[in-house]
Amino acid sequence: MRRVTPDTIAVVDLAVCDRCGLCLPLCPPEAIHLELNTLTVDKTTCTGCEKCIAPCPVGALSMTPLVPSPQSPVPALNA
Amino acid sequence: MPDVDVLVVGAGPAGAVAAWETKRAAPELDVVLLERDRAVGSPVRCAEGVGDAGLREFVNPDGADWVSRRITDVIFEAPDDTQVILSNSGIGWVLDRTRFDAHLAAQASAAGATVLVNTEATGMSRNGDGRWHVRVKQGATEEVYRARIVIGADGVETMVGRWAGLDTRVPSRDMESCAQYVLEGLDFNPNAIYLQFSDAIAPGGYAWIFPKGEDAANVGLGMVALKSDGRNARQYLDAWVARRFPNSKQTGYTVGGVIVHTTIKKTYAAGVMVAGDAAHMINPLSGGGINNAMKAGRLAGCTAAAAIRERDTSERRLSKYHQAWMELLGEDHLKYYRIKQALEHMDDDFLNSLARTANKISPEKRTLGRVFTQALIRHPQLIPVAARFFV
Repeated sequence: MRRVTPDTIAVVDLAVCDRCGLCLPLCPPEAIHLELNTLTVDKTTCTGCEKCIAPCPVGALSMTPLVPSPQSPVPALNA
Repeated sequence: MPDVDVLVVGAGPAGAVAAWETKRAAPELDVVLLERDRAVGSPVRCAEGVGDAGLREFVNPDGADWVSRRITDVIFEAPDDTQVILSNSGIGWVLDRTRFDAHLAAQASAAGATVLVNTEATGMSRNGDGRWHVRVKQGATEEVYRARIVIGADGVETMVGRWAGLDTRVPSRDMESCAQYVLEGLDFNPNAIYLQFSDAIAPGGYAWIFPKGEDAANVGLGMVALKSDGRNARQYLDAWVARRFPNSKQTGYTVGGVIVHTTIKKTYAAGVMVAGDAAHMINPLSGGGINNAMKAGRLAGCTAAAAIRERDTSERRLSKYHQAWMELLGEDHLKYYRIKQALEHMDDDFLNSLARTANKISPEKRTLGRVFTQALIRHPQLIPVAARFFV
């Protein structure tokens, strides 16, 4: 999938997340995973579309700036 | 490397019935049923309501310990709290899903399936030998199971579907975000389910009261986030409960997603079938999925047994599962989905006037059919909605 590096990506607050799995089928690039009772958002495939944010029944997902650290810059995959 | 004929991922109603039916149809097959949680049936993510006829195709609810409540009445509530009471409108049940799911898994076990709890599938691939190689984690131990057929009954968050290359994604408008409390100390009719429709209470969905006992119930709602005023499902529910049951005691809480779409385009691949919530086999009007899941599990189990006996687990062979499902219920869901789309344009004022129309029919003559007919006569704007039922 063509991906423009987004300014912000989804992040989960595991202290709030109930592991219900509702957000998984909402994610167009299937960047959200639920494994061994932990929800993770794959930073390299999240497109920042925000489709998972509002539907979370408990508000566990939010957007966070994707700031590449100087040591490991996130490559622009469409470059 | 354990070698099995059928590996079922997820021990909810779809998975347990799939394992049970596979063994019933072909007792010689090795069938393993995986449950990632510590016990089958827990945590409960469900309002637990189910219709009588569908349930009886599989198990007998009379006197069963996995039933919480027998239901005879349905009470529809308009946004302004006008009630439309349908007495003796048919029998339904509110289950105790913890016990119900355990009962179904016990049936699968008694039929000879191996049930493993606390055991999670973490990935699978096809390695050229015509089998699926499924990574299975149980505590610190990881093994690879080799399976002729994998049945994905792993719920709304299905990973089996993804691993098999099936598209299990859903548009935001067709996802109900749900929150539910178990409340005690309620003053209500414990033989009725209550359904309240209102954009202010549960936009794009409805709020429900499903009795669990004389003064206890599952009290919850489902809403579509796209129609929200900014609050999430739990915040909508807290507002409704505060108004409706300010003095109740909360003993349980759950959240989850209900997909109100239609069956995924393709529920099968070579050596794979997906069933239940994982394949979006939910009635898009009611949000009900338990009986549907069991029916799909039965079709998947019977198809798996026949396919393995015929030594043909190809995509083409398993496509018969999809055809059978579409004929049984999938085509109906397409119609229900069209009705749901048409109803999305009805606002709270309209729903209030609809409730008053329904109440003009005397209680003893008030059936769902008559309410529907009167609604069409007095509210012609519903005619296009009804028309969609037949196209």
